[in-house]
Amino acid sequence: MKSYLKGLLTVTLLGSAVACGNFLTAGETSTDPNRPVVAGTPQYFVGVQSNIWASYTGDMSRVTGMWAQHFTGVLQQYGATNLYQINEQTTNGAEVQLFLGGGLVDARKEQASAIAANDTLFLGIAQVQEAMLMGLAADVFGNITYTHALKNEVNPPLDPQLAVYDSLQVLLSKAIVNMGASSSSNVGPGDADLVYGGDAASWIALAHTLKARFYMHTAEARGGPAYASALTEAQLGITGSRGADYTTNFSGNPGEQNMWYQFDVVQRAGYLTPGHFLDSLMAARGDPRRSDYFALAGAPPAATDISDARLAPKYNNAIVSAVENLLIWAEAAQRGGNNALGLTQLNAARALTGRSTPLVGLTGNALLTEILTEKYISDFQLGVEAWKDYKRTCFPNLTPTVSGGAIPGRWFYDAGERQTNTNIPAAGTGINGYRTESDPQNATADGVGGACKAGA
Amino acid sequence: MRSLLKRTLSVTAALAMVASAAIAQSGATVSGRVTSSTGAPIAGASVFISGMNIGTQTGDDGRYTFTVGAARVTGQPATLTARVIGYTAQNTLITLTSGATITHDFVLAVNPLKLGEVVVTGAGTSTTRERLATTINTVDSSVITRSANPQNMVSALAGAAPNVEIRTQSGDPGSSASIKIRGASSLSGTNQPLFVVDGQPIDNSTEATSPDGVANAALSSTVTQNRAADINPNDIESIEILKGSAASAIYGARASNGVVMITTKRGRSGPTKYSVTSTNTFDNVQTNIPLQRTYGQGSHGAPPTPGCGVASASCTSLSWGPLLPAGTKTYDHEGEIFDTGLTSDNNLSLSGGNDRTTFYVSGGLTSQNGVVVGPNNKYNRASIRLKGTQQVSSELNIGGNISYIDSRGRYIEKGSTTSGLLLGALRTPPDYNNVPYLDPVSGVPVSYRFPHATTAAARDSRGYDNPFFTLNNPANRSELGRSISNVNADWNPLSWLEVKYTLGGDYYSDWRLQATPLTGSTEPDGQVIRNDFNNLEIDHNLLVTAKKSFSDNLDGTFTVGQNLNSRRVREVYILGLTLNAPQPYSLNNTIGFTPFENRSLAHVEAYFGQAEFDAYNQFYLTLGLRNDGFSTFGASNRRANYPKASLAWNFTNALGITDQKGMLSYGKLRLAYGETGKEPPIYAAVDALGAGATFSSGFGDALNVNQSGQGGLTTDLQKGNPSLKPERQKESEVGLDLGFFDQKADLGMTYYSKKSTDVIIAVPQNAASTGSQTAFLNGAAVTNKGFEAALNVRPYTTKDLSWDFGIQFAKNKGRVLNLLGAEFVPYNVEGFNGSIGSSTVGYAPGVIRGSDFVRCGRGLTLEDGRDVDALCGNAPKGALFIDSDGLPVDDPTDRVIADPNPKWTMSYTTSISFATSFRLSALVDMRHGGQVWDGTRGALYRFGTHAATLVRAGTGTFGKDFYTDIYPIVAGPGAGQVAFSSISDWQSWFTSQGGSAGTTQQQFVESGSFAKLRELSLTYTVPPQLVKNFVGFSSADIRIAGRNLHTWTNYKGLDPESNLAGAESLTQGIDFFNNPQTRSFVLSVSLNR
Repeated sequence: MKSYLKGLLTVTLLGSAVACGNFLTAGETSTDPNRPVVAGTPQYFVGVQSNIWASYTGDMSRVTGMWAQHFTGVLQQYGATNLYQINEQTTNGAEVQLFLGGGLVDARKEQASAIAANDTLFLGIAQVQEAMLMGLAADVFGNITYTHALKNEVNPPLDPQLAVYDSLQVLLSKAIVNMGASSSSNVGPGDADLVYGGDAASWIALAHTLKARFYMHTAEARGGPAYASALTEAQLGITGSRGADYTTNFSGNPGEQNMWYQFDVVQRAGYLTPGHFLDSLMAARGDPRRSDYFALAGAPPAATDISDARLAPKYNNAIVSAVENLLIWAEAAQRGGNNALGLTQLNAARALTGRSTPLVGLTGNALLTEILTEKYISDFQLGVEAWKDYKRTCFPNLTPTVSGGAIPGRWFYDAGERQTNTNIPAAGTGINGYRTESDPQNATADGVGGACKAGA
Repeated sequence: MRSLLKRTLSVTAALAMVASAAIAQSGATVSGRVTSSTGAPIAGASVFISGMNIGTQTGDDGRYTFTVGAARVTGQPATLTARVIGYTAQNTLITLTSGATITHDFVLAVNPLKLGEVVVTGAGTSTTRERLATTINTVDSSVITRSANPQNMVSALAGAAPNVEIRTQSGDPGSSASIKIRGASSLSGTNQPLFVVDGQPIDNSTEATSPDGVANAALSSTVTQNRAADINPNDIESIEILKGSAASAIYGARASNGVVMITTKRGRSGPTKYSVTSTNTFDNVQTNIPLQRTYGQGSHGAPPTPGCGVASASCTSLSWGPLLPAGTKTYDHEGEIFDTGLTSDNNLSLSGGNDRTTFYVSGGLTSQNGVVVGPNNKYNRASIRLKGTQQVSSELNIGGNISYIDSRGRYIEKGSTTSGLLLGALRTPPDYNNVPYLDPVSGVPVSYRFPHATTAAARDSRGYDNPFFTLNNPANRSELGRSISNVNADWNPLSWLEVKYTLGGDYYSDWRLQATPLTGSTEPDGQVIRNDFNNLEIDHNLLVTAKKSFSDNLDGTFTVGQNLNSRRVREVYILGLTLNAPQPYSLNNTIGFTPFENRSLAHVEAYFGQAEFDAYNQFYLTLGLRNDGFSTFGASNRRANYPKASLAWNFTNALGITDQKGMLSYGKLRLAYGETGKEPPIYAAVDALGAGATFSSGFGDALNVNQSGQGGLTTDLQKGNPSLKPERQKESEVGLDLGFFDQKADLGMTYYSKKSTDVIIAVPQNAASTGSQTAFLNGAAVTNKGFEAALNVRPYTTKDLSWDFGIQFAKNKGRVLNLLGAEFVPYNVEGFNGSIGSSTVGYAPGVIRGSDFVRCGRGLTLEDGRDVDALCGNAPKGALFIDSDGLPVDDPTDRVIADPNPKWTMSYTTSISFATSFRLSALVDMRHGGQVWDGTRGALYRFGTHAATLVRAGTGTFGKDFYTDIYPIVAGPGAGQVAFSSISDWQSWFTSQGGSAGTTQQQFVESGSFAKLRELSLTYTVPPQLVKNFVGFSSADIRIAGRNLHTWTNYKGLDPESNLAGAESLTQGIDFFNNPQTRSFVLSVSLNR
């Protein structure tokens, strides 16, 4: 009997021995071998930088460009989007991308990391990145959770769209101060910054232009003072001689390619065609950029696609440019009554786009019309700006693609965001309807044209 | 002390016996014949001497003979037993005398309820069917080999047991099958049960070739196999399906989806048996999507732009062109891509042994050539198995079970990809010939959207790939080597004590290649994906069982066990973008790389105990408890307990009916309760950063987080939860098993109710508030309640004619009770824009969400402020609202549009045996309810190739002559108004809201109800004398059969069983250019000796 007990004991112990104390916790049973847990400031910076490029040049840019009639959506989902058939599913993912990893959450971690390193340059740059993310969110979605963001609150309230722009003005002002301060511990992103190489002056100019852009976005609601503020900022913004355009900078390697190339060439050929309105407008004006924008075929010239140059894997789209800054400057000056300054900056913008012969003698509405037309054309592939300007001015007076319809004023929030926040109503209602605070009517007559048209 | 003395005495006695045996000079021979009560010989019956481990099996003539070695013959009495499944075992007392020839014939009574049959109950435990109080469905090998899809043992279970819902992805060779037992109760991860082979858990994952290995890739790539299909079905002796929690609780936190236990064949002592089986199956498909052949390529009634197709994909994709002139040649784009598939399955097995050693050796070779034209639709499996036991001493038995499988597949792209087979084929205009897929002059691939491609377009997209380009593309492959092996020991140190030990390993290496050739529309520059899976699971199971008789009327069996399990997952994925030269499809021939690695290690440490009591030969009580420790649980919840209890009462025994005769010949009442769990996803408890994030915008265009050599890191979208604990499922069941008319009929009924709590869901987090998209949390709750019934009737059982039939019925109703306050959780990776799988409160898991048109009675307001219900007047709720333009209006509200879960399922089997040699059998399988989103139809409407678009010839008015089947009643200001009066009107409708491109997907939801004639087969057993004379074997079976011969359904797509997303997907019932299921004709010859 004893030997049997011994045997039994041996077998049992053998089993238990394998199950030593840390059998459930040792090594990779409890440590994830696939994911890191710590990052430095430059790694957060690069993550946010990639997100900004993707968000500014991806679907939001294409769809708003389609609604501004730079493009026509013809195939599959884009055929429906062209007819303003969108729902929460259509626009899912865009809003949250601005908050999640690579979005606000990491812009904030980047700032915390910069503060810990006492690097005010990096802090300021991270604040500009935050403004770019949240500015786009306000542009496309209107009211957003911002002052209550990332506080783990249940049902966080949304800030009105105009309040978000106000907050971003404050943030950008702080960023400009931070970037301007010199400190021996300032390092900045350096080579990780693929656009400016960490250059403070460039980032400061960018911050001013962003301020000007966001003031313009409030102008329909706030009128003159907004234009005046935009003018002040544009004077300090990117001009070509001061500060360079903020663009993407792609290597052309897989995953590092122009989003338009990826969409129009690789993934969804034929979904988008050139917008007849823009093409005709440029043809009528003899705009030399037409062959830069479009592939032209046959006679009479008709745009068949985006140009090969702009569909190259390494093509870099401007996200904030000197041309935009100069045209904001021109419009803001003109709206403030300074026609001469308006014309000067319009000509400066024209010069940057290959037309050295200055326009002369334009004033009043003729000047404003010219500035707005120039801006509409130069916002090619920067759909959000063309669309925001249209909502502000009803210019150019586009004909909606849907009978009796109007060009949509915003995207719907993510269904997931609505579901996790009772402050967001159902799609199509209330603040989740079709308009935002900055375009309260979308039917008011502007100095340069009539009210926004309804679809014919 | 007393027992020690007793033991010593018995050892002495044994030694004395050995001594006396040594004196005897010869053994004893035992022989005889086993027949049924009708006089027919019973083949394959085991005849053995209990306690001595000596015996044999009867031959086809029912005869047996074996010899007991001289050393073991001492003139002692012994119990000779004859036992075979389906008959009541019989014992007789014989005396083993040296040199004697003992002859005994057995006449066994039919026992269709198999009450004495041993049922494996998990983790090494077993009982007899009579004592069972839980629901365990046993499926024997003949059901598997006769099934509609015998190559995949999971598919083969279709219709085999109530509430065991099988869905095979498609008829493609190597396609996966999913199994869902008593509905879905999990809302994340998998709902697949645990698979156990000969006591050892194995991997049954279905991994799509993708960096995250999850189901979304299955929507748009090739089929991939579920790994249980690696097991050669010919090696399977039986399968037990542990359905309820009471049955599966012994597997604790891996058992909430049930357990499928496979027992492989083994050798038995006696003459060596040989078996050679060769089966050839001819497969074809029913191509029943109606396509129009009246209008050609073009748009708004006009042909494509002249000169199109010189630049990439510049011809219109639509077939909304002109009426084709009479005599225009058109093509059968559906039929031309399919031909007859051939599956040949050859198996050889040898088994036998003597009184100390048994062995089983088998080799199987299955070669499937699918129904798609061309050489790239294949799946081959070669497997070998060696299983043996050796009785080391009268107390110790050592066994080994070694198998090796080599499986290789060549697959064709399907589903939602521009390189997909049916997607390209069915969208092709009727007047375009796909067959010369290479331009006859330049030799470059052409397609209907790019018919004039030249060599200059070597890296341009073809829009959609020509299906013949797709099916000739040899770039999707899987090559797998796998060993599932174990060693085991069975030690009986004392008559009442047994120790069982199993140590097993399941290792496989799966090599995958998925490449896009140059011009392939998904990646015209070409790409090569290499994906390797390397998995290892080691399982240690120790079990000690003690038996004790407390009195004449009370026996007990007590079991304690320990289980240790280690699962290692290793995956490497490398995407090589841009082919350098056109061939080969090797990473060496690509220019840029995106790597991905995933590895994990999960450990389980569990202890369990079980007590079974048998009282008065009528009450059978089982109590059990498992304590599980999982490394995947959060640190604060590392261990959990899973209790179970069950009671069976054989009330006919209480009534004195022990002979199983009479009108009520048998009756058993069952009550069972059990708890099981499900572990969280690996590392869900860990909070970390995401490496390799991408920023996309929903159309496949995406940026990596790293750019130009600058590394980025981002906060992971999913928040870790260090306090995660297992899901817990509590299930009660009550059942009644009845036998009638001398067991000529039996009826089993079970009602169960289970509730899963602490269900893990990836709870959507408010991104703005938390910076996370999801967090795995415990707390959702799901119930499943259902009823199962099986009736088997054997009206005739005579020697010359016997007939039986069976009906199985099952119903399950699942319901998500709460989702931690959320109304629904979308499975964003499962589905399409407007038809996304979800968990939604108040519905069964896996319902599909999307949007519908505006309907009356929903309290809706139009965008311009008009009140829909006011405009609808008195129209009934649900009537389609028609606006003043005669068209419906989109309702942007996201809602449940389809429930893919069946309302009930039923199957009917029958078999007739006549003239001793013929057996005819049939199986009809029915599913009622279970909706399918037929995205294929929506897309074909859009492209104008579906026959339904022939309506373009006339006008259309909602509620009158258009869609009256789905919208019988319409209302609103435009009701009755003509909506479409020209080809352009129709095209505008179908290319926007009336087709797949629109946002309203509810219109493509259809009933997935069906009845299928799964099997009709005739087996002829060649009389033994004939076989012997011709081929030297002792018996032969010839079988001809048809599988899936006919489907009765109203589903408008290829097949309502379509399951595009594959086995692991929580959402089933999504069809989008999925390849069809097959219909087969089978010829099988089996020779035995």
